[in-house]
Amino acid sequence: MGPYHAVVVHFPIALLTTATLVIALRAFSDGALARSTDRALVPLLALGVLSGAAAFAIGLMVWPLEAIFSSPLGRNHILAAAWTLAYWALLLATRWIQGPAVWDGFTRWVMLGLAILGGLLLAITGALGGHLMGTPTAASEGLRLLGWEIYTTYYVPDTTLALIAAAVLVLLALGWWGRRARAAV
Amino acid sequence: MKRIALYASLALFVGVLGVSWYTHGTGVVRNDPARRISIPERLTVPLQVQVAHNGTTIFFRYRWPSPRAGIFHDVLRYDGNAWVVRGDAVPGPQPDGLHEDRVSMMVDDGHVPEFGRYGGYITVGRRLAGLSDEVSGREIQAHPYLGQRLALDEATKYLPATRQNLDDWAATVPEPDQQALVAAGYFLDLWHWRAHRSNPVGVADDQFVGAGRLSDSGRGPYATNWDAARRQPRLMLDRARVGRSALNWDDIVQGRVGQDDVYYLREDQAVPFDAAASWRTGDTIPRRILRSSQGSRADIAVSGRARWADGFWDVTLSRRMDTGNPREDKIFTDRGIYQVAFAIHREATGGRWHYVSLPFTLGLGRSAEIEAARFEGETPNWQQRPANVTLFYPGQVNWPLVNSTRHAGAPNVRAGVPVRYRHSEDQLAHYGIEMEFNEAIQRQWRLTILGGLLLIAAFGFALNALLRRQGA
Repeated sequence: MGPYHAVVVHFPIALLTTATLVIALRAFSDGALARSTDRALVPLLALGVLSGAAAFAIGLMVWPLEAIFSSPLGRNHILAAAWTLAYWALLLATRWIQGPAVWDGFTRWVMLGLAILGGLLLAITGALGGHLMGTPTAASEGLRLLGWEIYTTYYVPDTTLALIAAAVLVLLALGWWGRRARAAV
Repeated sequence: MKRIALYASLALFVGVLGVSWYTHGTGVVRNDPARRISIPERLTVPLQVQVAHNGTTIFFRYRWPSPRAGIFHDVLRYDGNAWVVRGDAVPGPQPDGLHEDRVSMMVDDGHVPEFGRYGGYITVGRRLAGLSDEVSGREIQAHPYLGQRLALDEATKYLPATRQNLDDWAATVPEPDQQALVAAGYFLDLWHWRAHRSNPVGVADDQFVGAGRLSDSGRGPYATNWDAARRQPRLMLDRARVGRSALNWDDIVQGRVGQDDVYYLREDQAVPFDAAASWRTGDTIPRRILRSSQGSRADIAVSGRARWADGFWDVTLSRRMDTGNPREDKIFTDRGIYQVAFAIHREATGGRWHYVSLPFTLGLGRSAEIEAARFEGETPNWQQRPANVTLFYPGQVNWPLVNSTRHAGAPNVRAGVPVRYRHSEDQLAHYGIEMEFNEAIQRQWRLTILGGLLLIAAFGFALNALLRRQGA
């Protein structure tokens, strides 16, 4: 399935990279072009996430799961792909739910920040995939310089997992409070 | 208020991502003597190699960094009541520094084709000595061929075709087939220089790898200095020749005995042990008796003096190109191409705690990764540039694993794709360590993925609940 993964993965890369540019344009501009491209943002994100999910599924069939789960580079690619997919799904949901109001005031900068982070995740996933297939780029060296030796698996210790669990609870509580506050208005 | 909550959500999300980045890769990989795991601080070490020949003798010169001269091996120390062995092998560095430095080289002439593609990996079977699941010495000794016929007492390197089943160290092919394999050239020559057990008598041990790691015929350069019945050394230093009967423990462990001192027990500088002598606590006698090696096992000589200086070993070995023993040695001929792989031990390590190289081609008058210089006379002048080799700590990766469904590259191995095509030394070092913790790392990795997904989902929920909805 390797060649098919290589073909399909072009779609989320192209669509989500375009989405990043659209978000950047809209964050900095209220002009006609920015508003026009923003109208295509939800379809762009939806297609990007769907094609990303397809690429993820096909990617899991390139090698036996036992093999890819035993490879540090393979594990890293899967982790980055899973997080990237979830992250862009979050952006899709946000733009869909919030509508054009997401560009009002300060939240446009929130969207820009989230898009930049999503673009980085996408780039890391793609770079790791390319490295896994035998075509490393300078991105791998860049990650090393930032403190991640990509030949070692990205995992966090139990204490960090506990911190993540606590953060999840706090975020859920904040969200629950926000919903109640809105309902009360 | 909602804006503050929004900022708090953003800060929490980004902050936790930051903590994840800062702490990643910690909490699992650690030294674990119970599982025979000890990971060196440095994962790669450079080695420089030069080769020269004059048509009859071939010379290999090795130079590699070592923080100190590891010239001692195990010893017998008098503790006031009895002689006690110190310097037994342990996972990783021996705490008292009592394990010698070494350089070794495996050589093939094309009869073991996998060696030229995968180097020493092909010699690492399942459950070898030093691995976390090592087979016991008793099992090896009880094996009808390995133990009783070949006199092996631990699970050593072997070549794949010497077994009927790649996964089973004990499934040796019948002895006639083993002999036929060797006669067909299916073995690797092994040059093995030891700073304590061979260097003081001017030789490197001459061995080979077939059904196991075996020694060439003849007598080796060392024997054990232990009288088991009397529980005392067999020999001690000859005071008349070297000025003392024993070394001092503190001098040894504090590095006050150097290369130019008598730090070894050579047969011609020793006398029978005298139990009645006035031994003092801390008197120490080497546990190895050095002697001249004989026969085919004595083929490899140290050329000049092997010396450690300024943090580097400089060792030159020489051997007749044609030893006349084609069943134990690889015969070198001018215009020939050979495959070689190197290893060193340093910082008082033994066994599998070494640094190894990928395979290299060696050409004698032929284009190759390492090209031997032709010279006239007795000794080379070493004018040619050395070949730079990267040695790496190999961790626990065995040949059955490389060929199994747990290795994504197994189909490539079956297709004969060389290891170098997809892996670098640095990568192999990290992979070798990760394989030592594969299950624990997989568990932590799965939890990390799950934690990240939950964090993203929770952040999305909070973000959308705190942002103003369209039309709201």
